[in-house]
Amino acid sequence: MHTHETEKAKAAAASGKYRRIALIGNPNVGKSVIFGLLTGKYATVSNYPGTTVEVAYGNAAIEGKKYLFVDTPGVNSLIPMSEDEKVTRDILLGERPSVVLQVGDAKNLKRTLLITIQLAEMGLPVILVLNMEDEAMDRGIIIAKDALKSMTGIEVIMTVAPEKKGLKELRAAISKGDYRTPLLNIKYNPHIEECIEKLLPLMPDAGISKRSLALMVVSGDESLRGWFNANMETSAIEQVEAVRAECILRMKQPVGMAISGDRLRRAEEIAEKVIKRVPGEGGSFSSFIGRLSMHPVWGIPLLLAVLFGFYEFVGVFGAGTLVDFLEETIFGKYLNPMFTKVVETLIPFALIRDMLVGQYGLITMALTYAIGIILPITTTFFIAFSILEDSGYLPRLAIMSDRVFNIMGLSGKAVLPMVLGLGCGTMAVMTTRILESRRDRAIAAFLLALAVPCSAQLGVILGMLAALSAKAMAIWIGSVLGVLLFSGFLASKIVPGERTEFFLEIPPIRKPALRNVAVKTASRAVWYLKEAVPLFMLGTFILFILDKLSILRVIERFASPVIVGVLGLPPKATEAFLIGFFRRDYGAAGLFAMSEKGLLTPEQSLVSLVTITLFIPCLAHLLMTIKEMGLRYALSTAAIIFSTAILAGGALNFALRFFSIAV
Amino acid sequence: MENIEQPCRKVASSGTEKSHFEDEALEVIWELAESGEVRLKDIVKEVGNEEGVIGMSKDGLIAVSEDKVAFTDNGRARARDITRRHRLAERLFVDVLDLKEFEEDACRLEHAISPEVEEAICTFLGHPPTCPHGKAIPRGNCCKLYIKKVRPLVQSLPDLEVGRSAKVVFINAPAMDRLASIGLVPGAEVKLLQKKPSYVLGIDETTVAIDEDIAKGIYVKP
Repeated sequence: MHTHETEKAKAAAASGKYRRIALIGNPNVGKSVIFGLLTGKYATVSNYPGTTVEVAYGNAAIEGKKYLFVDTPGVNSLIPMSEDEKVTRDILLGERPSVVLQVGDAKNLKRTLLITIQLAEMGLPVILVLNMEDEAMDRGIIIAKDALKSMTGIEVIMTVAPEKKGLKELRAAISKGDYRTPLLNIKYNPHIEECIEKLLPLMPDAGISKRSLALMVVSGDESLRGWFNANMETSAIEQVEAVRAECILRMKQPVGMAISGDRLRRAEEIAEKVIKRVPGEGGSFSSFIGRLSMHPVWGIPLLLAVLFGFYEFVGVFGAGTLVDFLEETIFGKYLNPMFTKVVETLIPFALIRDMLVGQYGLITMALTYAIGIILPITTTFFIAFSILEDSGYLPRLAIMSDRVFNIMGLSGKAVLPMVLGLGCGTMAVMTTRILESRRDRAIAAFLLALAVPCSAQLGVILGMLAALSAKAMAIWIGSVLGVLLFSGFLASKIVPGERTEFFLEIPPIRKPALRNVAVKTASRAVWYLKEAVPLFMLGTFILFILDKLSILRVIERFASPVIVGVLGLPPKATEAFLIGFFRRDYGAAGLFAMSEKGLLTPEQSLVSLVTITLFIPCLAHLLMTIKEMGLRYALSTAAIIFSTAILAGGALNFALRFFSIAV
Repeated sequence: MENIEQPCRKVASSGTEKSHFEDEALEVIWELAESGEVRLKDIVKEVGNEEGVIGMSKDGLIAVSEDKVAFTDNGRARARDITRRHRLAERLFVDVLDLKEFEEDACRLEHAISPEVEEAICTFLGHPPTCPHGKAIPRGNCCKLYIKKVRPLVQSLPDLEVGRSAKVVFINAPAMDRLASIGLVPGAEVKLLQKKPSYVLGIDETTVAIDEDIAKGIYVKP
């Protein structure tokens, strides 16, 4: 999103003018909120673990000195178990930060200290930020800050980030510059210590201590292998492997377990000494909702209520009321006639006039679609979605849907990228990083591209379906879910490997902060405009050229066996699918316009909707898939998806005709 | 299943140490006594050393009158302990370690474990009443305490009631590293919040959802 700025910030840091500060901590403790407050840059903030899956950079000046802040994905251990956790560990391995700003959850001190201990072993200076002090208080947890300071030897600051409480102290601690490494060294089992001794001389130089590297080796950190290959001689790697094998042999339990057990005991020791417990209060209503939302029985009506609310807000209000107003009134009655007049007066060339305000005009088609139809829909979607995200409902949805995802060879955790895909598939492909194995990512990314319509598309589709009938809606939902489940089932049989077990942290239910919902929606809407409008323009321009050169007719004739023969649609629908290659939502908007003009029968609308829902993902989505999963994967899945879409649409068309179903 | 069990006769006949031999003979006698009267010739048939058996009566472990054999108090207590240890060892090998061939190791283990370990194994197994062959495991002190409490002392999470808290005893589940990273290790206190549609646990202030595959591998003490 901020690539350009990020490059600038990184370049400035490389020139040595900036001090680097890395924000590290458990998932969902508020690193991104603090990052945003320190740098003034918005990083997406939500109430579920795994919101941040890539690194964000931002700089800030505090008392005249300049700093580069690095926001990282949350980790429970600095031995990574998924892609997003690896991103964080690699930052520590390579970036050599001046100080680590460890953000922790004040009510979960033990787990916070588990990370502090690992940072201490890495030899990194740390400032400990205990965030969400208010939630800890509500639960009757009071932390003796000074005692914690003297036991760890580092600066400890209590914050309530959304209220900016403690921020002044944090800035002061950063600018004071007296950064200290925590005094939390642990002596492990003699066998482990012996192996570490042997490993120390073999370890290469890195941003972190050799002892911590050796500990990662004996814990069995496989993700380190690539880094070792790049930084060590082959003979040294073999020696390392030999020591590690010896260590595993001599220990009676898994070495990693022994090490984390010792760390936990130390963390618990400290936590017990500094925590005072008093009777807690508050939060009982939200915890009641929290329990209800994952209840085997009550969770289902709640889910239906959430879906219904979503539909009313996005489908009826966004795609109905707002689109009517923007597209028909603002664009149809005022803007387009005005632009047409201006263009006709100012521009003498018919061709350019046509290009701007004609049938395939950049203003009358591309801008009208983008701002008149899609923008209100995506905006309402993102508002509703942000509220859900910030409430903490999404991980509970994972609990409800684990078994359904098992059919597709995935665990309930995959619901997070899938639901995010309803917002935007491009973001969602990146979020698949939270899944633990390449296999799970491959299946999830495929299903995302195939059967998860993005908000823009979904809104347009909901708008069209709302105009049809409840039966059409049911058939559309049934077809898409059917394709999703069936192809997921097949994929799980074809892609080799085992399903990863379901393991997901559930955050507390929180009241969404209006400010964050607004800022997040705005940042996503801006991002949408930046990404979609140029593609809309390009797609329209190509349509315009094809039309002028009379190639459009040729293509329509060429595609007619599929469009008319298989799908039973009018030849003009080819245009919608053609621009669907650029963006599915744009294709859907084309169909929307056609059905508004009465060019599609209800049955044709339904068939075209199912087809465009399953149609190949938009260009940006495809590019992201190439980046995350590789070119071969992206192209082969795109080919499968394209044929599946046509097949499913054709089958539906056939079924509707054969059983003479009217919708 | 009766015919599968061959309690340690091979080991017994080749055993040279006196106390070892006595242990094996006592075990044989215990088993014979379970199905009725004990005759000297039956014992000799099993352990193959008549002099040794006669020696045991001199040492006050058994009383022999004509060809009938009975335990002395001393002998009964020892026989009871050794049988208990043997059958507990069998349970351990079969239930927990999932071994098919276990008799020989059970024979060795019965001599190797201290009363503390014996009690720990018994507790860990939930005070099983019978060995894998269906024979009664003599009760120990720990079992008597347990009977008062009625509930098995170690159970896996799916057996725990929803809403109860329990201490984790050991974990043999997938995703152990992940569990450890949120503080779920042996010794930790967990609360089972729900079982359906997925398992949800509370550990300190952390709530975590897991599936049945992981839950089955987490053993707790309520």
